[in-house]
Amino acid sequence: MSGVTLSNIRKTYGELAAVDDVSIEIRDGELLALLGPSGCGKTTTLRMIAGFVAPTAGTIRFGERDVTSIPVHKRNVGMVFQGYALFPHLTVAKNVEFGLRVRSWDKERKARRVAEMLRWVQLDALAERSPRALSGGQQQRVALARAMAIEPDVLLLDEPFSALDAKLRTQMRKEIRDLQQDAGITSVFVTHDQAEAMAIADRIGVMSHGKLEQLGSAEDLYKRPVSRFVAGFIGKCNFVEGRVVGAQRFESAEGLALQFGGEHAAGAAALCFRPEHAVLEAGAPASGNSLPVTVKSVTYLGPSTDFEVLSDSGQTLLVSAASGTGHAPSSVAPGQKLRLNWRPEDSFVVA
Amino acid sequence: MREGRNWGGASLVLPAFVLVAAFLLAPLALILRYSFDLHDPIKLMKGVFSTQNYVQAVADPFYQDVLLTTANIAALSTVIVMLLAFPVAYYISRLESQRLRGWLIILTVLPLLLGNAVRSAAWMIVMGTKGVANALLLSVGLIEEPIKILYTPTAVVIGLVSVLLPFAIITLQSVMDSIPSSLEEAGQSLGHSPLRTVYGVVLPLAMPGVAAAAAICFALAMNAYATPVLIGGPTMQMMGPVVYGQIAKANNWPFGSTLACILMFVTLVLTIVSTRFLSRKYF
Repeated sequence: MSGVTLSNIRKTYGELAAVDDVSIEIRDGELLALLGPSGCGKTTTLRMIAGFVAPTAGTIRFGERDVTSIPVHKRNVGMVFQGYALFPHLTVAKNVEFGLRVRSWDKERKARRVAEMLRWVQLDALAERSPRALSGGQQQRVALARAMAIEPDVLLLDEPFSALDAKLRTQMRKEIRDLQQDAGITSVFVTHDQAEAMAIADRIGVMSHGKLEQLGSAEDLYKRPVSRFVAGFIGKCNFVEGRVVGAQRFESAEGLALQFGGEHAAGAAALCFRPEHAVLEAGAPASGNSLPVTVKSVTYLGPSTDFEVLSDSGQTLLVSAASGTGHAPSSVAPGQKLRLNWRPEDSFVVA
Repeated sequence: MREGRNWGGASLVLPAFVLVAAFLLAPLALILRYSFDLHDPIKLMKGVFSTQNYVQAVADPFYQDVLLTTANIAALSTVIVMLLAFPVAYYISRLESQRLRGWLIILTVLPLLLGNAVRSAAWMIVMGTKGVANALLLSVGLIEEPIKILYTPTAVVIGLVSVLLPFAIITLQSVMDSIPSSLEEAGQSLGHSPLRTVYGVVLPLAMPGVAAAAAICFALAMNAYATPVLIGGPTMQMMGPVVYGQIAKANNWPFGSTLACILMFVTLVLTIVSTRFLSRKYF
């Protein structure tokens, strides 16, 4: 097993840079998620690690081994494809054995390895079935067993949960994570679903327009996003336009003085806060950030209540109040004029 | 699926069915009947029921030989066609440019727009003793004297291969289109080289298409007429022209019908057996 190092990799198609100068050091045994909207370059990055796409520039290393110019079939990667790509003409066991065909192992050793892998994903009872006769979750486990049978240096998963229904998806997330931990294999998975990435990845690389915007733990990304894109993509976020006027001091476009935690260079920027950090109250607090707002809509969701409010400048802001905390006054109705209050330490500024 | 009979759908098949029944099945039934009749120089047919034609055809070394030659040439042409068509079909089906794909498919079927006789005549010009092929080989210095190509079995195989190739390519290509390229990528990620992946993944999945294409080619080759007559010449005997000769030249309708029925039966049996063999090998 080994880590994976991407150094300044680029992939251009004509004028367009699908992946633009991305460097990531994936640690040994880590599960890294590449997260971003479609067309952000995450899949191209994954396919470059697999060897299906040759980078225009940059190097890819598995441990100390430079694999940049090594073809797919000599790279020793395990890949779980979107839709799994199981061989329909082979049984489950033959699918798992497929990667061992090119090895000079004797028959018995191959059979042992196949049995071991099927036991690992708890499908030993279905070894002789056709993959077409399996459920989505079972197919995914076959795909994983097939990829891992060759003892790859790195495991790659391309949108592994997109073909599953919502309920199974949550279950398979946990299963895949447990199996990955159990094998201790360096893994990269691609997804456009931030909840999925946050749920199972050790670290997340957020990509946009071919660039790596930010790399960090789920908590890093949520609490300390470095860009407006990351703040908006990881969870919901309110943005108040304006500019930084001093240490932790911000002035909104309408001239309201606000405060924020952390540091940011002076100049035009946006002050951000999460919907669950704001409260709707009748008056402004003695200290802290406050905006006069008009309630636009109230949505009761059970665990929480969501409010859409309009600031005086006409901007829509979101507030989410957890039920049972007293932060969700049941009397709030559309049209009501209230104060939107939140703490400076829950605010951050992005360019 | 919906329960019960769907007459609405069945009615759509009706026009085609009537056409086939009236103009194909009925004449076939007639030929089957004629094949058991006997030749009469004046009345054309005696109107009897006899197996004499069959006994005669099967026992005659001449017809045994013609049938064997026909089957051999058809089988050889089919094998060559499949070997040539598979890589071409694979190449076309894996092209990313839809434009190029479209053009290549048009180019593939283009020869079919030529009549069989016209194409055969063209081959005659190419393969004649003073033809293009000999001129080329002579000028390059590969041969010192013109070689005989035209009117040999080799010439017939070349001619048949050129007729059959488009059918095989189009059939195979449509089957390969339905094989997702992610399966090949999976094969490669599991350590199989691109060539090995074609053998281990594409070929087995394309086997139904290979069987279908081979069946089409074999049946067409068994029943070929223009190619053996024009390129094979007078000494080269194949079943199609022999059947025609009996009916149109010798005026022996019953015996011609018998030969036609034997040809049909042998083609059918060989096609079914080989198709079964091909599909069973992989599934």
